[in-house]
Amino acid sequence: MSYEMIAILMFSTMMVMLFTGQRVFGAIGFVAVVAALLLWGDRGGYDLGFSAAIKLMKWYPLMTLPMFIFMGYVMSESRIADDLYRMFHVWMGGLHGGLAIGTIGLMVLISAMNGLSVAGMAIGATIALPELLKRGYDKRMVTGVIQAGSSLGILVPPSVVLVLYAMIARQPVGQLWLAGVLPGLMMATLFIVYIAIRCRITPSLGPVLPKEERDLPLGEKLRLLRAGLLPLGIFFAMMVPFVNGWTSLVESSAIGAMAAFMVAVLKGRMTWVVFENSVRNTLGITCMFMWIILAALAFGAVFDGLGAVKAIEGLFTERLGLSPWAILILMQLSFILMGTFLDDTAMLVIVAPLYVPLVGALGFDLIWYGVLYTITCQIAYMTPPFGYNLFLMRAMAPPEISLGDIYRSIIPFVVVMALALALVMIFPQIALWLPGYVYGN
Amino acid sequence: MNGMRAYVRVVDGVNYRVGRFIMYGLFVMMAILLWSTLSKVAFEPSLWTLEMAQFALVAYFMLGGPYAIQLGANVRMDLFYGFWSLRRKAQIDALTVLFLIVYLGILLYGAVASTAYSLGHFRGEPFAFFGALFGALVTGGPEAASAEMGHLERSASAWRPYLWPVKTIMVIAIFLMLLQAISELFKDILRLRGEDIPGPRGSRP
Repeated sequence: MSYEMIAILMFSTMMVMLFTGQRVFGAIGFVAVVAALLLWGDRGGYDLGFSAAIKLMKWYPLMTLPMFIFMGYVMSESRIADDLYRMFHVWMGGLHGGLAIGTIGLMVLISAMNGLSVAGMAIGATIALPELLKRGYDKRMVTGVIQAGSSLGILVPPSVVLVLYAMIARQPVGQLWLAGVLPGLMMATLFIVYIAIRCRITPSLGPVLPKEERDLPLGEKLRLLRAGLLPLGIFFAMMVPFVNGWTSLVESSAIGAMAAFMVAVLKGRMTWVVFENSVRNTLGITCMFMWIILAALAFGAVFDGLGAVKAIEGLFTERLGLSPWAILILMQLSFILMGTFLDDTAMLVIVAPLYVPLVGALGFDLIWYGVLYTITCQIAYMTPPFGYNLFLMRAMAPPEISLGDIYRSIIPFVVVMALALALVMIFPQIALWLPGYVYGN
Repeated sequence: MNGMRAYVRVVDGVNYRVGRFIMYGLFVMMAILLWSTLSKVAFEPSLWTLEMAQFALVAYFMLGGPYAIQLGANVRMDLFYGFWSLRRKAQIDALTVLFLIVYLGILLYGAVASTAYSLGHFRGEPFAFFGALFGALVTGGPEAASAEMGHLERSASAWRPYLWPVKTIMVIAIFLMLLQAISELFKDILRLRGEDIPGPRGSRP
């Protein structure tokens, strides 16, 4: 059997096994170790699965994973971000759609303090959503804003998704994170522009807050701004030592986790229940990620051993005569399509051993591609029938918001995200300027 | 059936306790990393922090793995799975969990071989080596056991720690994971027999 055939067989077996609903890491790991055993047997086939564990252990940036997951849970469970919402509420309430714009601002700040979209969703759905509905905001507008805004969590550093990508693509995490900054802010700006225009055309979607509610004395207003110092403080405590080279990325993540924990303690929000939930969920989610990556590394190693990527690249460039850009766009489209029905970790595992080396072989920058990958994941989070944020929203939203509302609410935001994706593709400098500037010095 | 029930109770109980204990390893990792930062800024950078943190992470996620299965934290693709009845889920799971068991079994073999390597056993059957090692330990004490061992593997860093302790932890963890996977199989079989076995303690957040 040719190596291409083996590769195709491996992929299709894995897809079938994933569809049976067995735990993702079990399905992937099984295909990987059995393929290795059949291919190489005594010559290293037995150890392939376990040598992935050693590789995992030696890849230091993975240490950031439990730290950022813990940070996210501390924030969403202890509600230390509640005051932030009041700040945006008062300061932005005077605009058409101002509270929705403020919610996007809130999401950017929360994204800067944690690496997944869960914390943003939890805070958005429990604090922002009821408030916005009470003020007569359109329910579809509101659910869309919260889903889109919270997805920024994986693009704005620190980002867990980019750490995982970095591991698979063998790229430096620091550069990837910096590359995510400007595209993240750009996307947030695009969301805000969309909301502002939409609410200007149809003011009933986002009514202005009554004057008496936002007419606080200036001193009070300024006092509310202090709430914004908290996330900025945590963010800078983490990023300044890192960017200046005083600490490594991993050490910074521990500082961040400690800072979030201390803030929760000092604010008196670290109850026993909060503590228990944060610590337990951190273990659960970390184990989920680590075991999937463990299996994925074994899968990728078999794939590397087959040299299948070269063959696939040859198929596209020589036999089909496509230009690198045409291939990239096709890949991205197929990626979005897959993202609509695959979990993001499963997507990384399935796509990465194939797409990432191919992108590299075609001569594209893998840091830049990491940003494209993350934006695609964000879209995948939100697109029906299967999206992580969709499920969270359905679980958290009040009963008057139907599933149909949730599905329809994301359409304009997905369009905006696709626009952002296209912009980053056409102008790679949006992603690459900042890492080039910081690391160039 | 009684045997299965007893197995599930014992294995789940042990893994629950191990998981609840290792859960706090998070703070051990945090402490190591903060110490590393502090020592770098205040005095001499420590040599041991980087690798110690890595060992702690491996112990954390590997020993925590069985408890994560109990919590239901591992993602599944729910394209079809999500719509099935509990009975159908148990039927399919009882079959497909065998994939997981095979994977963990091969992983365990690799781990045992690698641990044998770290104790100086370079080729041949690792289980026989451990048999001889334990035999020597029981009959002749530590000295006889160390005679069985060869060159001990060290990490290629300035600190140069021995690798057998962390590899031993990994062997134990993968073994516990295997026991937990078998426990999941038994639970599905018991469910199919009409017994009321509770599902995961907490769903994926």
